[in-house]
Amino acid sequence: MLLTACVATGWLTGGLFGWSLGCRRVTARRARIRREERRAPVVSMEVLLDLLPDAAVLLDGHGALRFANIEAKATFGEALGTIVRSPGMFAALRKLDGVTLQASGSLVIEVPVRRVVRVAVRLLPDALTTGPARVLAILSDHSEMDAVERMRADFVAYASHELRTPLAALSGFIETLRGPAANDPQAQQQFLGIMADQAARMQRLIEQLLELSRVEMLEHRKPRGRIEAASVIERVREETVAACTAKGVVLDTAYEPLSVAGDEEQIIRVLVNLVENALKYAKVEERPLRIRVRIEAQTQHGRAGVVFVVEDDGAGIDAAHLPRLTERFYRVEGRGRTSGAGYGLGLAIVRHIVDRHGGSFEIDSVVGKGTCCQVWLPVA
Amino acid sequence: MTEATHTVKSYEQELEHLRSLMRQMGGLVERQTAQAVKAIVDGDDEAAIEPPELDPEVDELEREAEALAIRILALRSPMAVDLRTIVAALKITGDLERIGDYASSIARRAMKLDMEGGPSLVGLRSMGRLVQDNLRRAIDALANEDRDASVAVWQADAAVDELYTAMFRELMTYMMEDPRNIGTCIHLMFVAKNLERIGDHTTNIAERVYYAVTGEMLPSVRPRGGRGNMASLQS
Repeated sequence: MLLTACVATGWLTGGLFGWSLGCRRVTARRARIRREERRAPVVSMEVLLDLLPDAAVLLDGHGALRFANIEAKATFGEALGTIVRSPGMFAALRKLDGVTLQASGSLVIEVPVRRVVRVAVRLLPDALTTGPARVLAILSDHSEMDAVERMRADFVAYASHELRTPLAALSGFIETLRGPAANDPQAQQQFLGIMADQAARMQRLIEQLLELSRVEMLEHRKPRGRIEAASVIERVREETVAACTAKGVVLDTAYEPLSVAGDEEQIIRVLVNLVENALKYAKVEERPLRIRVRIEAQTQHGRAGVVFVVEDDGAGIDAAHLPRLTERFYRVEGRGRTSGAGYGLGLAIVRHIVDRHGGSFEIDSVVGKGTCCQVWLPVA
Repeated sequence: MTEATHTVKSYEQELEHLRSLMRQMGGLVERQTAQAVKAIVDGDDEAAIEPPELDPEVDELEREAEALAIRILALRSPMAVDLRTIVAALKITGDLERIGDYASSIARRAMKLDMEGGPSLVGLRSMGRLVQDNLRRAIDALANEDRDASVAVWQADAAVDELYTAMFRELMTYMMEDPRNIGTCIHLMFVAKNLERIGDHTTNIAERVYYAVTGEMLPSVRPRGGRGNMASLQS
């Protein structure tokens, strides 16, 4: 009833707009039309809900999800199932007993990504219960605030932990330069070289930490835009070909002319990251390394999608490390020690980006044979 | 309204109610698991209180679902997909209840655990995440009666086994390094084992969903991870 009234008033104001005011006859005719309008609503509730800028869902008398509006699907996606069956939602629904017509509550879910959601539920008036739907629930996402809060704490913890080592080395050398090496130009040059390396290391670390927190911030925001295979390949080539040539690595690329929904910039970052990893860690002495990047269509569990593959024929990774590679600061010991090793943040960033796109990330590797990283994104 | 449609309607209502009970249980155990994992990896004592508190509610729902399932079986003689749904529901609620128990047990252990200077919990964190995500997808598959999704969950448990084996090896090393770590490590070992069991029950749920939807059983041998390494460690 409420919504029908809204339609009618909305329609009426729309109708009055552009008419000269104070024309009684016209107003009377409008009112008659309005009464007719009320008797036969032309707009379904679902269509109206789709127009709302807020996430709204309809639930039946058993709490099952019957409809989700466009905004709800865009904001929450596959997390909707978990949200509507969470204890917080059922607690709010239990308050609606026919006397109480509205209630609210809040809920937190941890997977696929952490979300803090406020929910307001409204019992539908009789006039609107022709279908199975009985309850309207408006969901508001408070995840971003929560994420900022947690990230600040995390950042301080990680940064202080990881920056302490190079900082300690720096102050050690400064001490030496001031004291014992004050008059030894040769030692000074050597120490300054080491200090420059350490400073560069710290800078790279800070950049990666910042990128990680940016990626985390965006994680619960659905990516918009499209990814074109051709331009991805071109950009990845541009950004990595110099490093490959410098190391004598062959870079092959192949792609099918595909396009998929997502944030192109982020996917390029993912692929560049994976290629750089291969450059850093997959080196073998006996033969020149070959890295292959390809993009092709692939169906996973009945869902159409596109797979982005980065494979090399290098050293490979021991199976024991594979499940843990995407953890922050996880490093495989003994790998790439010599060439200014990474911080174990690259793949954590990759995982966050893939999670945001609702895709999957897999690493297969055979020691001595090579590694194959696959990022799969669903088409729809 | 004729008698026939009335009967059909309330039968449909009963089935809907059964599904609703399962979803509610699912939501509760998801919450229990999430809080349990949080309690252990973030050392959050407040989170540790919730899972055991939710246990009676889960048990109550299980009893209610069981009674309803038996009632439908006795009074309606359901056939085909309905029959499979009800039989699967009996087993799925059992699996969910067990998952709730494991989550509570993890939470109780978290309260006892003093993690000062103990081993790193990153491995446990990613295992917890993976298990939670599989559980979520299994319950989604249940709610949407989605065959493909259930197969995906069924296959995804291999990664949990992999992580469990990795954890096992890591904790073992810690214990060998310093006997003072043994107390903490044993607790963490049980936590990892409980998470792995939650993963197994999640797989069971996926199997039942597949059965309820298709009428066929998934093969009894499931893709498993980490077995080879396990054998060499335990011998």
